Amino acid sequence: MSTSNKETILKRLTDAVIVGDPKTADEAAKQALAAGISAYEAIMNGLAEGMKTVGDKYEKKEYFLPDMLLSADAMYAGLNVLTPHIPKSQSKSKGKVILGVVEGDIHDIGKNIVKVMLTASGYEVVDLGRDVPTSDFIEKAKNEGAQVIAMSTLLTPTLMSMKTVEDKLKEEGLKDKVRTVIGGGAVSEDWRTKIGSDAYGKDATEAVDKVKLLIESIKSAVELMKKEGKKE
Amino acid sequence: MDAGRALGVDISSICGGKGTCGKCKVKVQKGIEGLGPLTDREQKSLSEEELNSNFRLACQAQLTAPAIIFVPERSRVGKQRLQTEGLDVPVTPNPLVRKYHVVLPKPSLQDVRSDEDRLVDALREKYGLSNPEIDYEVAKTFPIDLRKKNWNVTAVVWKNKVIAIEPEDTTARCFGFAVDIGSTKLAGFLVDLNAGKVVSVAARMNPQIPFGEDILTRITHAMMQGPKGQDDLQNAVVSGINEMIDECCKNAEVKTEEIYELNFVGNTAMQMLFLKLWPQYTAFSPYPPAIRRGIDVDAVKIGLKSHPRANAHTVPVIGGFVGADSVADLMAVNMLEAEDIVMDIDIGTNTEIALGNKDRILIVSCASGPAFEGMEIKHGMRAATGAIEKISIDVDSLDVNYRTIDDAPPVGICGSGLVDGLAEMLKSGLVNMRGKINSDLSAQTDRLRKTADGWYEFVIAPKGTTGTDEDITITQADIRELQKAKAAMRTGAETLLKRMNLTKDDITTLYVAGAFGNYIDPESARMIGMYPEVPIERIKFVGNTAGTGSRMCLISKEMRDHAEAISTKVHYYELACDTDFQGEYMKAMFLPHQDLSRQPISAEMLRRLGRI
Repeated sequence: MSTSNKETILKRLTDAVIVGDPKTADEAAKQALAAGISAYEAIMNGLAEGMKTVGDKYEKKEYFLPDMLLSADAMYAGLNVLTPHIPKSQSKSKGKVILGVVEGDIHDIGKNIVKVMLTASGYEVVDLGRDVPTSDFIEKAKNEGAQVIAMSTLLTPTLMSMKTVEDKLKEEGLKDKVRTVIGGGAVSEDWRTKIGSDAYGKDATEAVDKVKLLIESIKSAVELMKKEGKKE
Repeated sequence: MDAGRALGVDISSICGGKGTCGKCKVKVQKGIEGLGPLTDREQKSLSEEELNSNFRLACQAQLTAPAIIFVPERSRVGKQRLQTEGLDVPVTPNPLVRKYHVVLPKPSLQDVRSDEDRLVDALREKYGLSNPEIDYEVAKTFPIDLRKKNWNVTAVVWKNKVIAIEPEDTTARCFGFAVDIGSTKLAGFLVDLNAGKVVSVAARMNPQIPFGEDILTRITHAMMQGPKGQDDLQNAVVSGINEMIDECCKNAEVKTEEIYELNFVGNTAMQMLFLKLWPQYTAFSPYPPAIRRGIDVDAVKIGLKSHPRANAHTVPVIGGFVGADSVADLMAVNMLEAEDIVMDIDIGTNTEIALGNKDRILIVSCASGPAFEGMEIKHGMRAATGAIEKISIDVDSLDVNYRTIDDAPPVGICGSGLVDGLAEMLKSGLVNMRGKINSDLSAQTDRLRKTADGWYEFVIAPKGTTGTDEDITITQADIRELQKAKAAMRTGAETLLKRMNLTKDDITTLYVAGAFGNYIDPESARMIGMYPEVPIERIKFVGNTAGTGSRMCLISKEMRDHAEAISTKVHYYELACDTDFQGEYMKAMFLPHQDLSRQPISAEMLRRLGRI
């Protein structure tokens, strides 16, 4: 396979995501497999590249919610074709995130966009949906061995549900194992400080950046602990 | 004072900011530490009591950090358009409180009936009342009242209970007070219950606003502070209502004691805060209201200025997010008896949409947000003096014409102006269907330009012509907010049509209610796809129907029964549970709509202009 052909196909994947064209994404994904491009490469250098551009455009207000959702549809269309072809050994994700809209709130469009961005950035996302009971966040994080719990809420009264999750994590002594990131219409940096969450993402792009930092902080904390352990 | 002006809150001042007239007293609710020290002038103008409760002079105090400041009614210029007007629906008066004049035979050895029987018999014989009972409070002293004017008295009867005995014939004076408890505005109507006519009207900003612009923040206040927080909120709204009662009574030369019945309409949360019902669970999915039915409570228990035994009634609600204001709205347009299919849109921070006719009515609530009230918009403001309320853009030269409220120099843009602005930008190609500003046109007009943060904005009124020190613009971010707001409304309307197997063409009348609705241009609203595209002549603006419904329920027993019927017969449909919700919402985000087959009239126009 020629390099240029490969590049053409990857670009086709990228563009399909950028313009939000699920049909082309599906075709280009099949084309990639037929041309012998590894599924992993097609995702990372094709689809994910497109989503990165979409994220940038969103941040620049060039793209808006409908654009994001169309692009997401295209990305999932491509992923549906490619994911089954990733060998187990290669499917190591950058980290696992438990995601959901907190108890009492059912507004989940923002959460769905965060899910798209996280998936596109190579994180494994366990989506608990909306109106998620506090205990579900904790149980899932434990069972799945996730590093991050990401919570959102649009409305003010349900902010309290975020605090409940934070308090529960502290109570169970899980704060050093699981980090939290919060976001949504009613959420602010002030609220994050107040309830002792680890990070606040003002939008989907920032949420991904924060997840990245949180997972790195866990890794370095673990390494630090190992080093200190060795010294002793 | 400058900050107030920038936000469209006009604070009164006679001395021109010298600090001598003391007309601009404001109360700092939060962040007093962020204000500069008290000036000499302030020391002179403010009483000790005012100083202790954080009052300052707006023209003197310097803001160095964000603070929450309350501008009391007396310190406002007051030209706020309070938009109390609503459809006037004639109702035959049949109030729950009635006055009956009787002259009783004196007791004698031949007639030894009790005072009570004497009164009750007379009421039955003369007016056909069936065995009215005497309120305990009245019973305590009514023997004196009966004898004071030689057995010539007027009995005030609420439902079937005598709540007062007045000397001689006072039947000509029987008043009630109807209130619309809006989250932003309160409107009060003093009504002559004999004639069923409004004799005086007053309006206020809701004094609860300092506890949160939106109802959910206020509920959060109650949740966090507990009963004290509930008291804060109840006291605030009651003080506003009492001010209106005083104002109306003064204007109509009525004594507050002549008000025997009060009726209240608000959304579910507002009524709960007014009645001091615990609001927490209504704010959490699935949002159940605490009480659906109408409530009768002694006005005095809530602290309302009226006759000591006046009754206060709240109108029933439909659901947690569809309150008595919706019931009032549907009552005003008489949807329960509609033969043909009608749609009713009550625009507000929450927009309720009902669809159907006498056979079946569904209603939804859409979180449309406050963008159309000018909130979250860079140069947005409420409809007050100096607000740009009409905008037109020349499709070729991209020149702008606008009109402001009271023809004052522009200080911001209110909802109707924003709707016009967006529609005109779409028609002139300044914005595409996705809501993105077409930056290429910046070569053609100086009005379109890049801002410091790299986005674009369009100048409606350039600096120099404005009443502020800056350009008044519509920014890319503003357009996004407006798109979200209108998409929420449209999604509600489209979902209802789909669930009832109807199309836009089945809608014979589209009622647009809500204070803001009255002023929007129906064509502009249609051009941006705020509601289903129906012929203009089918669109009817009915204004603030919450006030209308509140008056109707005050004047007529039958209307109270009708309200109960609406509350049980209209079915709430939860939009968030609709499987197509997200897809419909995204489609509705487009201007006017992604699916142009639903907007043939607008599409034809945009095509003709070469925009699509």
